[in-house]
Amino acid sequence: MTVWERIAAMDRRWIYLMCGIAVLVPFIIPVSLPVYTTPEVQQLYDAVNSLPDSSIVMLTYDYYPSTVAETEPMSRAALHHLFSKNCKVVTLSNIPLGGPTIAERVTRELAAEYGKVYGVDYVNLGYKANYVAVMKGLGTAISGIFPTDNTGTPLTQLPLMQSVRNYEDIAFIFVVADNATADYWVSIVNAQYGVPMCCGATAVMAPKLYAFVGSGQLQGLLGGMKGAAEYEQLLGRKDRAVRGMDAQSLIHLLIIVLVAIGNLGYFMGRRAKRGERA
Amino acid sequence: MRRTAPVITAFVTGVVVTISFFFNEQTTFIGQIQSGILIWVTIIFGMSLALGMVSITRVNFNKVKRRQEGWPYSLLVIISVFVMAIPSALPVSWSPLFGRNEGSIYYWLWTRISEPMMATMFAMLAFYIASAAYRAFRARSTESTLLLLTAVVVMLSRIPMGEWFLRLFHPSLPDWINIYIMNGFNLSVQRGIIIGAALGAASMSLRIILGIERTYMGKG
Amino acid sequence: MSTFSPFELWIMAFVTLAIFSFLYRDNPVYRLVESIFAGLSAGYYFGLMWDTVLMQQVVYPIRTDGAWYLLIPTALGVLLFSRLTRSYSYLSRVPLAFVIGSTSGVFITSRLQGLVLPQIRTTFMPQNIPGGSTDPGMIVVLSAIVVIGVIATLIYFYFSHEHKGALGVTAKVGIWFIMISFGAHFGYTVMGRVSLLIGRVQFLVESWIGSFTS
Repeated sequence: MTVWERIAAMDRRWIYLMCGIAVLVPFIIPVSLPVYTTPEVQQLYDAVNSLPDSSIVMLTYDYYPSTVAETEPMSRAALHHLFSKNCKVVTLSNIPLGGPTIAERVTRELAAEYGKVYGVDYVNLGYKANYVAVMKGLGTAISGIFPTDNTGTPLTQLPLMQSVRNYEDIAFIFVVADNATADYWVSIVNAQYGVPMCCGATAVMAPKLYAFVGSGQLQGLLGGMKGAAEYEQLLGRKDRAVRGMDAQSLIHLLIIVLVAIGNLGYFMGRRAKRGERA
Repeated sequence: MRRTAPVITAFVTGVVVTISFFFNEQTTFIGQIQSGILIWVTIIFGMSLALGMVSITRVNFNKVKRRQEGWPYSLLVIISVFVMAIPSALPVSWSPLFGRNEGSIYYWLWTRISEPMMATMFAMLAFYIASAAYRAFRARSTESTLLLLTAVVVMLSRIPMGEWFLRLFHPSLPDWINIYIMNGFNLSVQRGIIIGAALGAASMSLRIILGIERTYMGKG
Repeated sequence: MSTFSPFELWIMAFVTLAIFSFLYRDNPVYRLVESIFAGLSAGYYFGLMWDTVLMQQVVYPIRTDGAWYLLIPTALGVLLFSRLTRSYSYLSRVPLAFVIGSTSGVFITSRLQGLVLPQIRTTFMPQNIPGGSTDPGMIVVLSAIVVIGVIATLIYFYFSHEHKGALGVTAKVGIWFIMISFGAHFGYTVMGRVSLLIGRVQFLVESWIGSFTS
């Protein structure tokens, strides 16, 4: 067995171990590398920042617990931004598995930090099934789809919801999603009701959403943990996403090195085989 | 009748919702019918959420009954289902431990056990993708070389260390990557795919409404 | 730092490490937590259906507004459960058709008006340079890339004619564009997956181990 064949046949668990170390080390020895802001994130920050104070904003928690590492920092940063501007926030989730609970947990935690009152400054509508029907239905009457909030309190008893009947009363929608719902927010709500919106999405989804930023249907985009880190930095809050950037750097470099070694092994192995044949 | 009734139902609901697009949803009769249909959809579809519970309980119950291999795990599944489901259905007025609110058993189990578990299951994909990149990401042809080089360049441009490294070659290099690769090549391809898929989805929707496409009914 | 008690952090750390143990090999601890996860998820769905659908959307409107007609969609929803039987599964077709038909109705208009038209329209307009640059050279180059890319991609996925001659050349250009886009996608996917791992390690180091010292 040649050296290259041996490298190619390396037990996958060694790769796992290297990845584990690459992620762990930066948390023990942080370097705090500078994070540059991309135009898409700056655009999003400017769009939210230009909202008049006390605007009513809808924030969606369209993500599963599986992607909270990427998406939760976005929701938290969005709430920091919105609450610091005294915006009124209406939250909801289109994700059945975990979405409503995350919305409840994160929104209440941040609201408490800013001393916001439930029902007056913010409301969590919770979840209703079939997001296509929900998004379209909210255009007619929010109370039709959500007769009560997440915890079963009738909307009629919540002061904030007296002034929010449908999309006409929503100034902006901040979508945070890890799946196709982002696409539907754009194609149903932005296109048909004209509500301006931006999106925080997982890195896996981000490349597709560039098309919506380019067409002006989205006023900014946060792509994955890096996008969240840039947003945190613009807000002057170096939170979870910024702290994860060192590990992001190291493990990516490891993966690039692994790809390079893998290819080197492939070419050297091919050359050796050709040599044997000759 | 087994096939006609669903076809008529899909046709009527589909036509009403499509036509209502051209009318004021709040003031016209058709708009109000559409609104009613959408509320009904959320109720009907919402009921299906419990299907999973019935299905998983049934499968695991049969395993336990027949003492199939790994039946203790199946028993644990059933116990977990009921530990989560029963307190959530009991009225909060009886105890704050019931229902779905913060402080309930349901909320506690989900945030303390399920959320970290689900997050970890997906976190393992990082190891698998690193291993796959090492084993399978090869520059075998012009196309795969193009893919590989773009992946590496984009990865570098999206990490602080890589960005710093790229700026050593030219201070605007990461910006150019963002402009020409992400907002140029990538955007155009995604746009082409979006247009193609949207046309496909619209035509498929039309086929469903007109009763030409009936595969959603299954066999029988 | 954390809103969880030390006991809760230990439980969260245990389930995290138990799942990670699968990386070494399949083991009873992993299967134990996996079974709990499957059960809790099914139970979660039930709780959500009970509260958000039955209580909030049916019982509450009936109690306050006397909306007894909502028992019709509830009954239709119950019919979905006939899928669990072999002889009566056809009963689930009507509620299914109701959902699929109305969703299709939303799709026809939203896909065309919300995606096809705006995407085509902006393709043939001068592109905005991210960051706000007004350099005409950059605008021309970027706009040309976008127009060529969209057309070439659509032609690559057009299979009704053989890819020969001009069609073949355009499709070839299309595949190069697609490879670049998929490369970017792969880079982003790696980034996404890695972020999820970072999130868990962050929890273990900052919240769990961090709680030992605080």
